[in-house]
Amino acid sequence: MKLKKYLVRALHRLQKGPGYTYKELLVWYCDNTNTHGPKRIIKEGPKKKLIWFFLTLLFASLVFWQWGILINTYLSYNVTSSLSIGFKTMKFPAVTVCNANPFKYSEVKPLLKELDRLIEAALERILQPENSSDTVSPPLDLELWNQIPLVLIDEQDKDNPVILDIFETNQTAVGNERGMDNETRKKYKLAVKLCSHPGSENCTYRNFSSAAQAVTEWYVLQSTSILSKVPLHDRIRMGYQAEDMILACLYGAEPCNYKNFTQIYHPDHGNCYIFNWGMDEEALNSSNPGAEFGLKLILDISQQDYIPYLSSAAGARLMLHQQKSFPFLKDQGIYAMAGTETSIGVLVDELERMGYPYSDCTMNGSDVPVKNLYSQYNTSYSIQACLRSCFQNHMVEICGCGHYMFPLPEGVNYCNNEDYPGWAYCYSLLRSSIKQRQICIDSCKETCNDTQYKMTISMADWPSEASEDWIFHILSYERDMSTNVTLDRNGVIKLNIYFQEYNYHTISESAATTIVWLLSSLGGQFGFWMGGSVLCLVEFGEIIIDSLWITIIHLISWCKGLQQRRARARYPDVPPTVSELVEAHTNLGFQHETGLVEAHTNLGFQHEAGGAGPGAQALPPEPGTPPPNYDSLRVQPLDTLSPDSDTD
Amino acid sequence: AATAPGKKITARLKRTLPVRGPQAPTLSELMRWYCLNTNTHGCRRIVVSRGRLRRLLWILLTLSAVGLILWQCAELLMNYYSASVSVTVQFQKLTFPAVTICNINPYKYSAMKEYLSELDKETKKALETFYGFSEGKSKVRRSVDDWNGTGSDFFQQIPLLKVEDFSRTATELHSGQKRRVEGSVFHKDSSIVNSGDSNDIIGFQLCDANNSSECALYTFSSGVNAIQEWYKLHYMNIMAQIPLETKEKLSYSADDLILTCFFDGLSCDKRHFTRFHHPLHGNCYTFNSGENGTILSTSTGGSEYGLHVVLYIDEADYNPFLVTSTGAKIIVHDQDEYPFIEDIGTEIETAAVTSIGMHFTRSRKLSKPYSDCTETGADIPVENLYNKSYSLQICLHSCFQKAMVDSCGCAQYAQPLPPGAEYCNYKKNPNWMYCYYRLHEKFVKEQLGCQQICKDACSFKEWALTTSIAQWPSIVSEDWMLRVLSWDKGQKLNKKLNKTDLVNLMVFYKDLNERFISENPTNTLVILLSNFGGQLGLWMSCSVVCVIEIVEVFLIDSLSIVLRRQWQKAKKWWSHRQRARAGKAPQGSDPERQGHDNPTPVSIDEDLPTFTTALRLPLPQDSPLPRTPPPNYSTLHLDTAFTEQLPDTLELGQH
Repeated sequence: MKLKKYLVRALHRLQKGPGYTYKELLVWYCDNTNTHGPKRIIKEGPKKKLIWFFLTLLFASLVFWQWGILINTYLSYNVTSSLSIGFKTMKFPAVTVCNANPFKYSEVKPLLKELDRLIEAALERILQPENSSDTVSPPLDLELWNQIPLVLIDEQDKDNPVILDIFETNQTAVGNERGMDNETRKKYKLAVKLCSHPGSENCTYRNFSSAAQAVTEWYVLQSTSILSKVPLHDRIRMGYQAEDMILACLYGAEPCNYKNFTQIYHPDHGNCYIFNWGMDEEALNSSNPGAEFGLKLILDISQQDYIPYLSSAAGARLMLHQQKSFPFLKDQGIYAMAGTETSIGVLVDELERMGYPYSDCTMNGSDVPVKNLYSQYNTSYSIQACLRSCFQNHMVEICGCGHYMFPLPEGVNYCNNEDYPGWAYCYSLLRSSIKQRQICIDSCKETCNDTQYKMTISMADWPSEASEDWIFHILSYERDMSTNVTLDRNGVIKLNIYFQEYNYHTISESAATTIVWLLSSLGGQFGFWMGGSVLCLVEFGEIIIDSLWITIIHLISWCKGLQQRRARARYPDVPPTVSELVEAHTNLGFQHETGLVEAHTNLGFQHEAGGAGPGAQALPPEPGTPPPNYDSLRVQPLDTLSPDSDTD
Repeated sequence: AATAPGKKITARLKRTLPVRGPQAPTLSELMRWYCLNTNTHGCRRIVVSRGRLRRLLWILLTLSAVGLILWQCAELLMNYYSASVSVTVQFQKLTFPAVTICNINPYKYSAMKEYLSELDKETKKALETFYGFSEGKSKVRRSVDDWNGTGSDFFQQIPLLKVEDFSRTATELHSGQKRRVEGSVFHKDSSIVNSGDSNDIIGFQLCDANNSSECALYTFSSGVNAIQEWYKLHYMNIMAQIPLETKEKLSYSADDLILTCFFDGLSCDKRHFTRFHHPLHGNCYTFNSGENGTILSTSTGGSEYGLHVVLYIDEADYNPFLVTSTGAKIIVHDQDEYPFIEDIGTEIETAAVTSIGMHFTRSRKLSKPYSDCTETGADIPVENLYNKSYSLQICLHSCFQKAMVDSCGCAQYAQPLPPGAEYCNYKKNPNWMYCYYRLHEKFVKEQLGCQQICKDACSFKEWALTTSIAQWPSIVSEDWMLRVLSWDKGQKLNKKLNKTDLVNLMVFYKDLNERFISENPTNTLVILLSNFGGQLGLWMSCSVVCVIEIVEVFLIDSLSIVLRRQWQKAKKWWSHRQRARAGKAPQGSDPERQGHDNPTPVSIDEDLPTFTTALRLPLPQDSPLPRTPPPNYSTLHLDTAFTEQLPDTLELGQH
């Protein structure tokens, strides 16, 4: 009882006006709301009332539908891109220069001597089978050969190809072959035989359509195995030294020399040198376009000292990349040809993206589930680094050793033929596995800020015939302090790297839909259809709270009624309790009103022509003495419309 | 009782939803009512304000707010069709594009001998006569002796001329006679002739075969261009007469051209290439053309995982007049795109490795009404002669070919044949060259209308190429490399390949980032409506409800008031007339004079009054009994929730 009293009081305080029934509340709401539709419903004639009722419903549903669309749009996190082009002072890109050949042949010759003899002998047999047996040479070390042999495959009969080992079965095979003419000999293909263990049956043959490819591939596999055993500092020593390779350097008007370059060991290309890497000192800025203000380099690649079977292309490999990023020359590198001057105009193409949730990219790679092996170079995350690390991790997992081309995880060795005899087989399976690649693609994410250096490359012959003599003379003198000319056209390369007139092209993203946008669009929709605002929503909420109150009160009084009836059944004449009396009193003011409003609305809905207007309400329809009993006005509703009776 | 149920329903509807006229009897009343009850701000101020100045100010403010709304909404509507650009980058497995590779020289010169020997002889003669050039000393005399003996077809049809510019006379090469140049002179090299230069200009004359007085003289500032152009004209004539099968045999086979092939770390061979016959470049080979249903893709970037081919371009077998450069030509394109290798191909040097790094960009424009592009080309009135998907280039070429067939009666050799047409040659169409040059002139000057008809495609794929070159093979590897490649070629070992016969080419993805540039509509209908709502709300707190109100009040209600008034006038006039006839003075009350106190609708309509109208109803006049005034307790109840509403209605009632 106390609770109910409290609730009623609270309601009383909370709302002075809306009334005690749902209908009353609704009418009050329609009349007093700031939304445009509902007012019309109660203020118009019957036909218009119906029209307005449906219009309001229609508009309300329109508003909700469109709000749904707007919120969906917001949650899709669209972005708009803005593009800016122009020239500004920018960090000059880091420039990595390498020789296409990783090591000086004169230095690595002792290591590769056996291998070279093997391949020469093999080529001799393949190319001139007729007189191969005649050549007398020191006995070959066939141990290397047997680890990964090259074989000839005759694929004339598709179902059972004839496989000929070049060295072992040469007597019989070549003997059979002798009678054949060139036409049939053409059908032979070279293949590399890869076995999981030496002598095991579990072998695959990697076929090649061309012998040149087969020889190169074979040589790479073998030399990788040999070189992986050589410690790093020896490998660095065998490569090209900065003072031999970088002959002249000029940045803008300032002279620079090989000491301005950072050395890095690159498995593909041996020693590489990076200008302006930004690891130790601040990156250089360039504030002027044009070749005059760029980097000018003269390199010597000494083509005579190339390893003949390892790299058939001669030139310098160079790459422009961001500071503190690892140069992936095989992906993004370009060649520069010997005996030419290569001019490279640079345009920085930047893409700045918003991170999650706008796009699925990573800011610094910390949220990528692949261990970045290139972090040992102190370089930043990139997708290439991630893919290679992913491959190397798989390789270590499956083959038990790391591939020579990629950095090593801790506690793992590089693969070589002695310790891991099946590595080449394992590697070739892994490399051609589509599944492995897909796993890596799925687990690596691209970086949010993607910078590319777009290059406009042009070439001219350098040095010119007229200037050739003195240029070579000076460069040789500077390098070796001797008057002998040690350079020639096949070795020197001139490079000019500079910013173009427009040096940046930046696409930056911004959110297309912000919370401000969402609110103003929501407001616009609500305002457009119904003239509503947030306050209208608050009003609506208020009404819902009110109706909840009403429900609660009805429930309570219904419960009370039930109790009373039970009590009455036991004691038919129970005097009203104090709380009941109080309740009745507190309710009175409202009760009467209810009656009034009911009358009004009834009038409005039923069109009782006789009882119209407040005056008519006060007057009883039948003639007679006016009702003298003023209290009756109050008592009457108590009888008919008390909460108790409502629930009955 | 026997009324139809339909009628019953309508009767019921009429009863429950009666039609009633407007709330106010006069227009000014209506306006007042509207201003007081409307949901828009401003109008109410006009009515409520006291003083003329204030009222005027409010009228002005309201009107300017309306004006502003109209202006802003018009702006919003006009900017509806604008697009915003979004760039997305996706790292994924990319499909490898089709790579079409051609030898620059279209046909083996040795095989073409029987078709071209006459033409070559003539060309050599021309070179000798004009420039004193001769290949071998011994041949010179003989060829000059032969000169007058054999009738030279080629010079008779299109004579090469030496033109002296000032006198406008030309020396004919064949007969050596001078003659005046008639007709117009076209300079192919430049539009301005260096008049100070006394050098002779070489060119050729094309005449209309039907009307020989109409001639056009094409001149070139350099003999190199003139000879090549002239040679090409004749060459095309000859080639047009050779059937396609023969031409394919005359050109290079896949075995001839492709020495080694390597893709994605695996070996590939000629089966991965599709032959494609190009009229100017002979047999070209497309890698990954997707013809057998599978399109290769790469899941790793970098030079090791792309396409790596070594081509054998037999330099010794080149046609000396047709092509003057050596090497191969490649183009990277989409599988369903036509390779316009003559237009946008990249030339590849011999004795070098060319590394081509690709970067993939896909673009998409919005079609109509955002921009004038076409999705499929189906809406372009030009028939697509190429068996590939639409592109601007295809449209232009097809359009020109169509114009060519229409006006010259035969098709140009470099483009595909439309159905029912055949390629031009002298024998059948002696006039075609003149016609072709005329038409081409028009085409270049945009007089054929092709450039207007053809639209660009809405979506396109682009592979940006970064090309760099290194020497190949290196000095130390040259020896074994050439030997092994010769073995591959299956040639006799004594004949080693020359490195200038070889082209080494690498095509690979630099990275697997696909850049997708797309246009999106900035505005959707939802956003447009939101913006309208914002504008309406900002200036007048208006909504669609207000618009409906305005329509209701200003169109329907005021119209019905006007009509009603007219009707009453007519009625009055009619009754006057009748009364005049009857000679009786008018009696009774004019319903209009009663105003709102006794609104006409109530008396006219059968409607039952609503609550609001009922409030305004006067007390029944014919109340027979005098009553005590009702006790005024009800005023107590007026201070409740309805206080806001009641004064309004009461106010109305008092007017």
